Amino acid sequence: MTDVIATSGLVKTFGKTVALDGLDLGVAAGEVHGFLGPNGAGKSTTIRVLLGLLRADAGDVRLFDGDPWRDAVDLHRRLAYVPGDVELWPNLTGGEAIDLFARLRGGFDQRRRDELCERFDLDPTKKGRTYSKGNRQKVALISALASDVELLLLDEPTAGLDPLMEAVFQDCIREVREAGRTVLLSSHILAQVEVLADRISIIRHGRIVESGSLAELRHLHRITITAETTQSADALTDLPGVHAFEHIDGQVRFEVDGDRVDETVRALAPLGVRSLVAHPPTLEQLLMRHYGDELAARTNPRNGAGR
Amino acid sequence: MTTATVERAATATATSGSRFTGVGTLVRFLLRRDRIKLPAWTGGLGLFVLYLAAALPNFAGTEEDLRGAAQLFNDPVGRLMIGPGYGFDDPTFERFVANGYGLYFALLAALMSILLVVRHTRLEEQTGRAELVRADRVGRSAPLTATVLVAVITNVVGGLLVFVMLVGYAGFAVQGSLVFAAAIAATGLAFAGVTTITVQLSQYARAAAGMAGGALGLAYLLRAGGDMGAQGGTGLSWTSPLAWPQQTAPFVLDRWWPLALSLGFAVVTTATGFVLSERRDLGASWLATRPGSAEGTESLGTPLGLALRLQRSGILGWGISLAIGGLAFGAYADAMLDAFGELPDVYAELFGGGDQLLAGYLAYMAVFMAYLVAAFAVTAVQGLRSEETGGRLEPVLATPVGRWTWLGSNLAVIAGAVVVMMAVAGFFSGVGAALVTGDVRHLWELTVAHLNQVPAVWVVLAMATLLFGVLPRAVPAAWALVAFGLIAGTFGPLLDLPEAVLDLSPFAPAAAMPLEGFRFAPVLVLTLLAAGIAAVGFLAFRRRDLDLT
Ligand SMILES: Nc1ncnc2c1ncn2[C@@H]1O[C@H](COP(=O)(O)OP(=O)(O)OP(=O)(O)O)[C@@H](O)[C@H]1O
Ligand SMILES: [Mg+2]
Repeated sequence: MTDVIATSGLVKTFGKTVALDGLDLGVAAGEVHGFLGPNGAGKSTTIRVLLGLLRADAGDVRLFDGDPWRDAVDLHRRLAYVPGDVELWPNLTGGEAIDLFARLRGGFDQRRRDELCERFDLDPTKKGRTYSKGNRQKVALISALASDVELLLLDEPTAGLDPLMEAVFQDCIREVREAGRTVLLSSHILAQVEVLADRISIIRHGRIVESGSLAELRHLHRITITAETTQSADALTDLPGVHAFEHIDGQVRFEVDGDRVDETVRALAPLGVRSLVAHPPTLEQLLMRHYGDELAARTNPRNGAGR
Repeated sequence: MTTATVERAATATATSGSRFTGVGTLVRFLLRRDRIKLPAWTGGLGLFVLYLAAALPNFAGTEEDLRGAAQLFNDPVGRLMIGPGYGFDDPTFERFVANGYGLYFALLAALMSILLVVRHTRLEEQTGRAELVRADRVGRSAPLTATVLVAVITNVVGGLLVFVMLVGYAGFAVQGSLVFAAAIAATGLAFAGVTTITVQLSQYARAAAGMAGGALGLAYLLRAGGDMGAQGGTGLSWTSPLAWPQQTAPFVLDRWWPLALSLGFAVVTTATGFVLSERRDLGASWLATRPGSAEGTESLGTPLGLALRLQRSGILGWGISLAIGGLAFGAYADAMLDAFGELPDVYAELFGGGDQLLAGYLAYMAVFMAYLVAAFAVTAVQGLRSEETGGRLEPVLATPVGRWTWLGSNLAVIAGAVVVMMAVAGFFSGVGAALVTGDVRHLWELTVAHLNQVPAVWVVLAMATLLFGVLPRAVPAAWALVAFGLIAGTFGPLLDLPEAVLDLSPFAPAAAMPLEGFRFAPVLVLTLLAAGIAAVGFLAFRRRDLDLT
C-alpha cells in the first residue's frame, strides 16, 4: 500500500517549546488511522504542518507525494479538514458556511449535503454565532463529508457531539472507508478509535512512540491473566515476563509480556486450573503506559479492580 | 491552607450571595486586565492638554492671531465643527482651549467609555468568558456593576489628570479648569450609560459598539445643527449629550448645572441597562437574531465572493457615512467662503492661500476624505488579521485556496472599495457644493479631485498589507501613517514642520485638485509604490506561519 501521509524526523518549535521532535508518521491509503496522545503532545501541530499552515523546521513531510508547504493549494483539492474548535462567521448561516467550504474545495454533492444535514439533525438556516459548539462542529463535519475528497484530516472532530451524533459520525466514517478514502483521526475518545481505526499511532512529546494495528500493539504488550488454581501459584512470580502478581478473592492475577504467554500458561497448567481468564490490554491500558508514568501509577490499580 | 479555608468560610457566612456578589474582586480584575489601556486613555487626555498648551502659542501667539482664529470658529461652519463658541468674542488662551477643543475632549472620553463597557460586558459574553466568571460565586449583576464602577473610576481619573494639567502645567484658572474637567468626565459617563443599553441589544460586541457609536454620531449631529444656528447654541443643541459639557462654558460662564443633565442622563441610561440586563439570559440579546439562507449561493463559494460577503456591510456603512459627510462638507462651501475674509494667514495657507479659497477648501476636503477612507482601509486589514487570529482563516486555507488567492481577493475588494468610496465622497461633496453655489461643475470636478487621492490611500493599504505579511501583530501601526498624514496635511503649515518631513506623507504628492490641475506623475508613482509595498507583504505572508491557537 502506498502511504498517503509520510513524515520523517519532523521538527517544529514555537520559541522554546518543542512541539514536534522528530515525528515519523505513516498513514496508508484507504485506512482509518487513529492519532492518539495526551494534551499538548503535538497532534494539532502535526495536522497543521500537513495542511501547510505551519512550516516544519526540519524533517520531511510528504502528502500524496507532494510537499504540503509548497503544494498546499493542489493538495487541498484532495482533502478536507475538520478542526476541533470550529469558528464560524457570525453573519453567515451554517448552510452558507457548509456550501462555502465545499465549493472552495471544488467537489460538492448537493444531495449528499442535504442528507447529511438531516442525519446530523442540523438546522442550516441559523447564523454562525447562534450555534452551539456541537452544531458548529457539525457544520464543518457535514461540509467535509459532503466533499468528494481522498483524505479527511479530522482533529478531535466530535469533541462536542452528543452520543447519538457520535454514532452517526461513526457510521459516516465507515462509509468513507468503504468508499476507499483515507482518514487521519485525532481523538481522545478511545472507544471511537478502537472501533474505527485500522491502525493507530501514539504520539507523546512530539514523537510517535508506537504505531500499528490494535492487534499488533496488543501483541507487544502485557496480557492480563486471572486464574483460580488448586495449588499455590506463587511460584509463577519467579518466571521471566510475569509482572504485577497479586491475590484477589482467592484468585491470582498477573500480567504477562506478550512474548511469554506460552511459557507462562504451561507453568500454570500443572497447578490444577479451575478457572482461567486472559484478556489482551485495552486501548486504555496501552495508552496509560504512554501517557505518563506517574499518571499510570495513579490510575492502573483502580482500572484493575474494576475488571 | 488553613488561612484560605478560614477566609473562604468567613466570606461565605458574611454574605449569603446577592446580585452583586463578587463586585469587588471583579473591579480589581478589570483594572488589572486594563492596566495598559486605561492609563493610556486617561494619560492621552492629559497629554492632549499638554500638547494644546505647548502648541497653541506657536500658531496663535499674539492677541491678534488668537482673535483671528476665534473669529474663524465663530461663524456657523466653525460652530459646526467645535461647538457653541462661548467666549470667542473676547478670546483668551483658556477660553480658546476649553471652548475650541472641549468637544474633542468630550468625544475622546465618550469613545473611551463606549469601548470600555463593550469590552467588559458583551465581548466577554460573546467569547464565552463571562460564562466561566458567572459560573463562579458571582452575582447576576456583578459584572455589569463592576464595569460601570471601572468606567466611573476611569472617567474621574481622566478628568483629574486634565484638571491637574490645566492648572499645574498651563496655569489656567482653577474654577474654569474644574468645570471643564468635570464636564469631560460627565460626558464619558453619559456614553458609558448609553453603552450599558446597547450591549443588551445585540449579541455581538461589534454591533453593540457600533450602536453606541451611532448614538454618539447622532449626538454630534444634533449638536452641530443646534450650534450652527446661533452662538451659544439653540434649543436643538440641548437635546444632545455632547452639547451639555460645552454649555458649561468654562472660563466664560463657569456654570455647573448643565452637568446635572449629563449625570442624570448617565443614571437613567445605566439604570435602564441594568433592568434590561437582569431580564435576559447570559449571552442572549433583546434584538433577536433572524434565520438566514439555508444554502450558500454559487458566488459565495469563491474566495472573491467570500471576501465581498464578509466586507459588504462594513463597506456599505462607511460608504453611507462618507456620502452624508461629503454632502455636509460640500454644502458648507458657501458659508466657508464668507468666513475667509477674517482668516488669520496660517489658516489661509492651509486652504492654499491666494484668492482661490473655495477651490482650496474643496481640495483640502478631498484630502480629508482620503484620510477617512485610509482609516477604512486600515480597519479592513485589521479585519483580515482577526479572521486569522479568530480561527476562521484556518479552515479556508485548508481548502485549495492559496494564501495569495485569499489575500489577493480580500485586497482586491478593499482596494476596489477605496475607489468607490472616494468616488462617492467626491460625488456627494459635489452635490452639496452645487446645491449652495448653483454651479453643477462641482459634481464632476470634485469626483475627479477625490479619485485623484485614491493612490495615496492605496499606499496606506499597502503598508498595512506589508505589516500583515511581515509583522502581523503590528498591523495597527498602520494607523500611525494615517495619523501622520492627517497631522502633516492639516497642521503641517501651522506647526512649521520642515518641508522634507511633510513630503513623507503619502497624501502630499498628488495635485491639490481642484486648486491645481491634474498631474499624472504622482498618481503613477504612488500606484507603483503601493503595488511594490503590497508585493513584499504578499511574499512575506506566504513565508510565515499562520497565527493559530
Ligand atoms: N502557536 C503556538 N505557539 C506556541 N506554542 C504552541 C503553539 N501551538 C502549539 N504550541 C505548543 O505545542 C505543543 C503541541 O501542541 P498541539 O496543539 O499540537 O497539541 P495537541 O496534541 O493537539 O493537544 P490537545 O490534545 O490538547 O489538542 C504544546 O506544548 C503547545 O503548547
Ligand atoms: Mg489539539
